[in-house]
Amino acid sequence: MLSQQIQASKHPPELVVDVMMAVQEHYGYLSDEALEEAAAMVGMAPTKLDELATFYTFLYREPVGRYVIHLCDSVICWMDGYEPLRDHLCKKLGIQMGETTPDGLFTLLPVCCIGYCDRSPAMLINKKAYGPLTSEKIDEILETLRSEAAETTPS
Amino acid sequence: MPKLIIDNREITVPEGTKVIEAAERLGIMIPRFCYHPALGSVGACRVCAVKCLEGPRKGIQMSCMIDAQDGMKVSTTDAEAVDFRKHVIEWLMLHHPHDCPVCDEGGHCLLQDLTVSGGQGVRRYQGPKRTHTDQHLGPLVAHEMNRCIQCYRCVRYYQEFTGYEDLGVMQIGSRVYYGRFRPGTLESPFSGNLIDICPTGVYTDKPSRYRGRRWDFERRPAVCLHCSLGCHVTVSARYREVVRQEARFSESVNGHFICDRGRYGFPYVNLPERPRSARVDGTETGWEAALKIAGERLESAAWKTGPQGIAVVGSARCGLETQGMLKRLADAKGWRGPVFDIDPAAANVRTAVSRLDSDLRVSLREIETADCIVVVSADPLNESPMLAPALRQARRNGARVAVIDPRPASLPFQFDHFPVAPDDLAAAMAILIRKCADKEPLSELGKTAVRSLRGVSDGADIPDADGLAALYDDLHDSRRPVIVCGTHTAPPEIPGMAADLALLLRIAGPRAGLFYVMPGPNSFGAALLSDPALSFGDLVSSIEEGETKALVVAESDLFGSGIDWDRLQNALNKLELLVTLDYIDSQTTRAARILIPTLTAYETPSLSINNEGRVQQSPAAFRGGDPIARTGGGEHPPRAFRRDIPGREMGAAWTALPTLGGRNPGSAPVNLTAWLGDAHPALTSLPESSDFPPDGVRLPLAENAGERFQTDRFSHGEKEEDALTLLVADSTFGTEELSSLSPILKELTPSPCIQIHPEDAAEFDLSTGDAVRIDTGAGTAVLPVQTTDRIARRVLVIPRHRDLDDRLPRERRTVLSKTAIRKATEDA
Repeated sequence: MLSQQIQASKHPPELVVDVMMAVQEHYGYLSDEALEEAAAMVGMAPTKLDELATFYTFLYREPVGRYVIHLCDSVICWMDGYEPLRDHLCKKLGIQMGETTPDGLFTLLPVCCIGYCDRSPAMLINKKAYGPLTSEKIDEILETLRSEAAETTPS
Repeated sequence: MPKLIIDNREITVPEGTKVIEAAERLGIMIPRFCYHPALGSVGACRVCAVKCLEGPRKGIQMSCMIDAQDGMKVSTTDAEAVDFRKHVIEWLMLHHPHDCPVCDEGGHCLLQDLTVSGGQGVRRYQGPKRTHTDQHLGPLVAHEMNRCIQCYRCVRYYQEFTGYEDLGVMQIGSRVYYGRFRPGTLESPFSGNLIDICPTGVYTDKPSRYRGRRWDFERRPAVCLHCSLGCHVTVSARYREVVRQEARFSESVNGHFICDRGRYGFPYVNLPERPRSARVDGTETGWEAALKIAGERLESAAWKTGPQGIAVVGSARCGLETQGMLKRLADAKGWRGPVFDIDPAAANVRTAVSRLDSDLRVSLREIETADCIVVVSADPLNESPMLAPALRQARRNGARVAVIDPRPASLPFQFDHFPVAPDDLAAAMAILIRKCADKEPLSELGKTAVRSLRGVSDGADIPDADGLAALYDDLHDSRRPVIVCGTHTAPPEIPGMAADLALLLRIAGPRAGLFYVMPGPNSFGAALLSDPALSFGDLVSSIEEGETKALVVAESDLFGSGIDWDRLQNALNKLELLVTLDYIDSQTTRAARILIPTLTAYETPSLSINNEGRVQQSPAAFRGGDPIARTGGGEHPPRAFRRDIPGREMGAAWTALPTLGGRNPGSAPVNLTAWLGDAHPALTSLPESSDFPPDGVRLPLAENAGERFQTDRFSHGEKEEDALTLLVADSTFGTEELSSLSPILKELTPSPCIQIHPEDAAEFDLSTGDAVRIDTGAGTAVLPVQTTDRIARRVLVIPRHRDLDDRLPRERRTVLSKTAIRKATEDA
């Protein structure tokens, strides 16, 4: 599917971000090897891909948890109580920004605006947006995700 | 032409000039970090802020981003602008470490200068700084990312200007990181320029670490001697050693940059094995005394055998003074020579020099403005590296670049490659020439030329003949085409055909230019001053026949010639006297009966002529003498005190040569330019050394019209179906004579290999990684195979390598039979 798209493109480098997203979808994150694989697919130097991969928030160059929490770190969310929510998340998960829980379930990352300002403070977990958030709502969401994970994970 | 006022001074500048450049013309240096004339403006650093008081825009503006316009009134000293810049510097310094005392850039750091001059000597920010992990970038460039101020110069230079993609900019915001995908040696052979271009100490010169501060060095301008382009460099010397070289701006030659071969090729000056004392019959002797003995022995040899029993030999790395003095000596004494063409390509160079015309030739910088370039029988990156970025700039400006060469050419930009076998190169050129002759009225060339051109074979039997015909159409439709022609491995008819093509294009319309690439730094001078009637091969034969009994060899390694080593060694053994003057340790200096050490071009003023006939002057960078590392026997200066400089007795080769002729050294001519005019009429008009223009003097050249359109060039002979052609090629590092002695570049020298087309390889059951046993005619070598479809069919390419020197044919092109190569198996 991906290779078809690449073949159909007159200028494969234009698909570089899509290719990296697809490769990330497959491997979970963009390891050096995955990045090289993506580079070969679009015929670009790995450095050029790394330039993009390290620039974009949603491309991960390190292993991430099953649920990647992107807490919005932007002006509107700041006004509506971003900081206590951040502290609550960190405390609840027992990790700092940029870290992954030891059980590999959650990764906490900041993101600069997800365009959900009308329902700020907001966060994005695995492409789903949540907001406006409160500490209680966050607890609820985390609990739901935990039980969802427990259900789908073979013991 | 807009007229504007900067700091109350009026100036008129060409359309499109940025305010920062206009100010520079007035001598006002507006601070800058990201702006660089070769890279243009990006407005990233914000430190070039000025205040526009009147004109189309008002208020604080970035002077690198705005074009000079009529009616502008700009102040660089306005309080608001000064305050703005001050704050910019303060924020750029936010994360910058306080490591100036231990930083290698300290003392020649733009950031340091601007911080101090901007009044930011004391830091207000006391918080934690962002830090980075550095990468290993190879033997040349040291990396220290904490010092970075995110100006983007390095990446713009590396990716945009030279076209390499292994150094990039990662991350975002304050985490911006310049580096490689994985740590490792930088791929670009122009990576040393990162050191010059970085406004602070992120990239510093690794080989010269801990060797001194900028102000400790004797710094002088010089001309690079590691290929024929003659790029400009600045030499830093300390303790009688060359420590570092930097690029020096030249309007006509290299622009702002140099290649790594030129930057790090210098250590031959400092090598412990460099001959520093004269030797007569194996015994160390004083320099003057040795010269005197040599003079006496030469005189007695002349008395015994007649002056024709003595011959003089130089090379393309001799300065023009030495070449001129060799000729003067030979003429005055009736000795044979001088022979400079020890390089097998010398005949090609002679053709090139005779065909180059003041009107036709272009300089390296002018190539950047060409709109269609045909490179024939040259491998720019490996033969004259700085030609590659020049071609790239032309490509960036929209030019088409085509390379007609059998070798697997690689260039850092998109180009068309016609991998034509050496035997077919003339036919490929004939296609271009014939198409021109078919289309244009050529009556002005005369009947013979027209007849010979019309008779040019159409070359249809060579691969991709249609592509070449289409290339001609592009040449014809361009405004400023340039023909770049190599001489290293070119068949003898090619340099002349390149000139023919350029001439024909001129008749057809476009203002075609011609650019030859030559093997040595002063090949041009060698071609002008050598004795055309005597080749080095003839000279060796005459030694074998006993006609030549004594040889004077100045700054030349005869073993780099086209003569088989055993034959040459036997011939040298037959000589009654071999006097060698040189500054490197070579087989020739070791074979010498009398060895006279000489000064390098770093220690004595010297002239050389580059590939376009530009005479350039290099003053002495330092006075020479034994390095303190040597006299002190270690790192410390010696404890014994003396008033003179040890090892300063020796002089330049050209000052020694008159004594060999029996004259006393005092009579060496003082007025160089006058006697160089005697050596060759083209050299008559050279200015005095004090008036030498920074970009040198272009010799007035007149083409030898008698050599135009020689019919025999265009008829290519029958091809031997079963034969393979072995090309002994150059590589960027490790093949040029002087730089191949550099320990710094050793790590970058590729290991020996043989390149072959995959289909030819299949015939011998070979693929990449296999070992092949090849009988080159000069010896047998076992080499790893590299297959590449960018190489011409039926061609083998072996880049020259020190480890292979004794087993490669001395000629650049050799025809081998198929039986000469076979797969090397484990048990064989």
